[in-house]
Amino acid sequence: MKNQILILLILFFVLILLPTFTPSAYLYLIGLSLIFAVIVVSWDLMVGYTGQVNLGHTAFVGIGAYVSAILQLPLRIGFFWEIHPMIAILFSGLFSALVGLGIGIVTLRLKGYYFSLVTAILPLVFMQKVFIWREVFGGEEGFSIPAEKIVFATTIEKYYFATFFMFISMLIMLYIVRSKIGLRFKAIRDSEELSESLGINTTLYKILAFFMSSFFAGIAGAVFVNYRLTVSPDLYDIPLMLLVILSAVIGGLGSLIGPLLMGIVVYLAKNWWLTALRWGMINEELVLYVILIAVAIIMPRGVYNEILERSRR
Amino acid sequence: MMDAIEIFVFGTAMGGIFALLASGFSLIFGVSRVLNFAHGVCFAISAYIAIFLVKEMAIDVYSASLVGIIFSILTGIIVYFLTKPIRNNIVMVIIVTLAFALLIEQILLLSFGNRGLTLKPFVEGIQVIYDNLRIARIRILAIFIAILVLILLEIFINRSLIGKRIKAVSQDSEASMLIGIDVEKVLIVTIGISSALAGIAGILYAQIFNIYPAIILRVLIYAFAVVILGGLGSFQGSILASFIIGYIFVTTMKTLGAQWSEFVMLLAIVGILIVKPTGFFGVKE
Amino acid sequence: MRWMVLIVLALLIALCASPGQVQQKRDKVVIGVIGPLSLPEGMSEEKAVKLAVEEINAKGGILGYKVEVVVGDDKLDPSVGSAEFRRLATVEKADVIIGGFSSGVMLAKMEVMAETKTLFLADASSPSHSAKVAENYEKYKYWFRITQNNATTFAYDIADMVKMLRENDYEVKRVYIIRDEHIWAEDVMRELRPLLISLGVEIVKDVKIPRNYAEYESLILEAEKMNANLIIPILALTGTGDILVKQWANLKPKLLIAGHDLAAIDYGFYNKTAGAANYVIFIADGGALVTAPITEMCKNFVERYRAKYGHYPESHQAYGAYDAVYLYKMVVEDAYRKGEKDPFNPEVLVKYLEKFNESNPVILTRPIAFTKNHDLAWGDKLIRNWISQWQDGKQVIIYPQFVANGKLKLPPWI
Repeated sequence: MKNQILILLILFFVLILLPTFTPSAYLYLIGLSLIFAVIVVSWDLMVGYTGQVNLGHTAFVGIGAYVSAILQLPLRIGFFWEIHPMIAILFSGLFSALVGLGIGIVTLRLKGYYFSLVTAILPLVFMQKVFIWREVFGGEEGFSIPAEKIVFATTIEKYYFATFFMFISMLIMLYIVRSKIGLRFKAIRDSEELSESLGINTTLYKILAFFMSSFFAGIAGAVFVNYRLTVSPDLYDIPLMLLVILSAVIGGLGSLIGPLLMGIVVYLAKNWWLTALRWGMINEELVLYVILIAVAIIMPRGVYNEILERSRR
Repeated sequence: MMDAIEIFVFGTAMGGIFALLASGFSLIFGVSRVLNFAHGVCFAISAYIAIFLVKEMAIDVYSASLVGIIFSILTGIIVYFLTKPIRNNIVMVIIVTLAFALLIEQILLLSFGNRGLTLKPFVEGIQVIYDNLRIARIRILAIFIAILVLILLEIFINRSLIGKRIKAVSQDSEASMLIGIDVEKVLIVTIGISSALAGIAGILYAQIFNIYPAIILRVLIYAFAVVILGGLGSFQGSILASFIIGYIFVTTMKTLGAQWSEFVMLLAIVGILIVKPTGFFGVKE
Repeated sequence: MRWMVLIVLALLIALCASPGQVQQKRDKVVIGVIGPLSLPEGMSEEKAVKLAVEEINAKGGILGYKVEVVVGDDKLDPSVGSAEFRRLATVEKADVIIGGFSSGVMLAKMEVMAETKTLFLADASSPSHSAKVAENYEKYKYWFRITQNNATTFAYDIADMVKMLRENDYEVKRVYIIRDEHIWAEDVMRELRPLLISLGVEIVKDVKIPRNYAEYESLILEAEKMNANLIIPILALTGTGDILVKQWANLKPKLLIAGHDLAAIDYGFYNKTAGAANYVIFIADGGALVTAPITEMCKNFVERYRAKYGHYPESHQAYGAYDAVYLYKMVVEDAYRKGEKDPFNPEVLVKYLEKFNESNPVILTRPIAFTKNHDLAWGDKLIRNWISQWQDGKQVIIYPQFVANGKLKLPPWI
């Protein structure tokens, strides 16, 4: 466990030093990858620790993104009263968490597969909302926030903002899973019956995990929007969801730090290192899906956990 | 009056297609507890293969459809082997089948483009039903085909030996194993049949509407709605639910507009989960 | 475990670091193409640019520099689009970037364009882009729309359709509109509604449909029941314009289809609908059609494209992309002749591009002129969306008279 904090610290210092020798086009992408990695970790917080498969995590990313964008541009809903971007970001996290709470209450009291089935539908439903109330949400186009309404405008400032955001979120989440609550999450994952017989209110803890997971997803969505200045329905979409799953699974469910590192690597691979890849029909998405299937079958516990185990042997 | 007839006919056609799709999804779940997120691939692949054969190879639409359905079955078998080593790990089963679905979606996107394609219908022309209400003949044929296939399936499950075994395994997999049923064999047959059903649904859908890569995941929403409404793992329940969802779908489209259909599906699902979490005929977990 | 982390970190550093490059002397001209490369729109942009560059290089390049093409795929995704734009602009050091398609992705790219100050000869139709130029000229002036007119002009041409039909004794009193659930269709409607009212036309229903919608049968029946004379499609992203046409030809209702169905501009549309497209009236968005090229250059381009790739341009984005390369060459050479210190400087080139205004269009595959806000200028002698009809496998321009190469034909069942 100590090791996780150590890794996080090393990563943090590397990231702080990176701008001295990296061109800004790459820094921009690395910053995005950090925010993406927080989304991955927040998914792991629910799925890796309580064993409930949430297939609609991007719904909460999207909610956070839109809520924050609208709070920063309140004229879109007819208000003049503007909120400081930082408060808007925090509030969007809270809003996402409340939506998660509602959905959790309905679905998580049922055992089995209902939670996965319902969450799988969520992104599409929220995406529809964007099209139906087009004047507010901007439809397929989304809308952009003027640079003046954002805390940080230059690439380098945004990069550091993303770095600190990642660092603080990670610290909080690491603290949660190491606390008593985190232990109960794991107990539920390992055996729901046993946890119940030990007197743990499993439904309550599952809902709590979902609440926190949605909170970080929402905040990350809001930071994402403040980083790239445009909000659009792609933040809800299934490809993003799969990228999250891919990173977490390869990174190793239930370890937080594994998904974090893999989130950064996968995002950069997809949006940068592999973009030049065009051998005839094969593109980077095909490659990523094949890797995901192979890893899931060969190392169902994730690369991180698998290597951890082998190095112990 | 005309609107009511229109909703009835369109909704029945839609419901029949949903039933073919969702009953298979439900059968697989009942027998193996696998949530097959790749079920939409079986739906789309048959139509794409058939469209390719008709357009590029100039093969007649009946043989092309047959070949398409065979491809659906093959897809099902692939999914069986992919999920076999990890069947006890729910998370990984969902991830592998979902990744497989997206992989195929991507391949279809790259080879056929993202624009919708239609398959030449078995029958052309229109039928005047009532007053000035004209309906494409293929839509009426689709209703008959869907109902016929579902009846045959019902007979197969209740009368044939392997059908009875399928029923037994879905009721209690361990007990079935104890009385000497080869559960793996039953599972392969179930996946084969279910995939074929999805394949037929895809062929009919592509003749009435159009097929596009993203439909692989989109049809799953309707399959989910159906199985939650009908009860996870219940065959009769999913057929009844399919038609209900079909009518809801068509009515929503006609009154509120197509953009509301997903939203109404979700409302229906959430409503059911609050009132009767196990659906019409759900089995307790 | 620690070694694993070290590997990941080392990988990160190794892959992220690149030695700071010193400003080098120019040895080539780099043209970037960005678009959805798995769609016909993006494909034809890439192919058209490559064709133009090949031709230009064969004749000695631009100011003697060899021209090189770099390509980025936006995948119709704003994040990917802006990242790819950034890569083309900063890593590949593109002097100009050509392309686009989706209006939403365009908005995201424009932000990167403003930040990197890159000249951008773009495709997309939403008026929200040129509105940005109007709002903050200094920031967004590097953007020019080159493929087609701003979407609001579609309304003018659809209104002209109604006039044209009336001139040909087809009464249009009531229309049924089927349109994309998308902002561009919203922009068209805002202009179209008052135009239709002034023509005394009643809109009996205005239906919005999502992507991949295919249930047109009940809409057509409804339109007929409401006694509409015309179905006006305003469809692009839905991608199912062919199905509308097929179901219309199958049901044979007593009404015409006339509007902006993007699919109908595609040369393969007739075959795709197995002939159901016959008699469908559409507008040739972008001002060029394979079977009715309006300039000499357009005629040559279409044939050369076919010679090189084995088929005609798969979308009208090809004309814009091809023009963009030649236009860039023209302004650079112009700037050089006028003695500009750096004829490749975007700040300079913007001024030279703006010289092509409504009174001074440049004739490429189409007559190109820019408005104050860098939209393509609309007009009879400029680019407009020619009113055209599918007739027995051919696209024929039927209005306005001076470019028309055919006459309106009504389907036999009307």
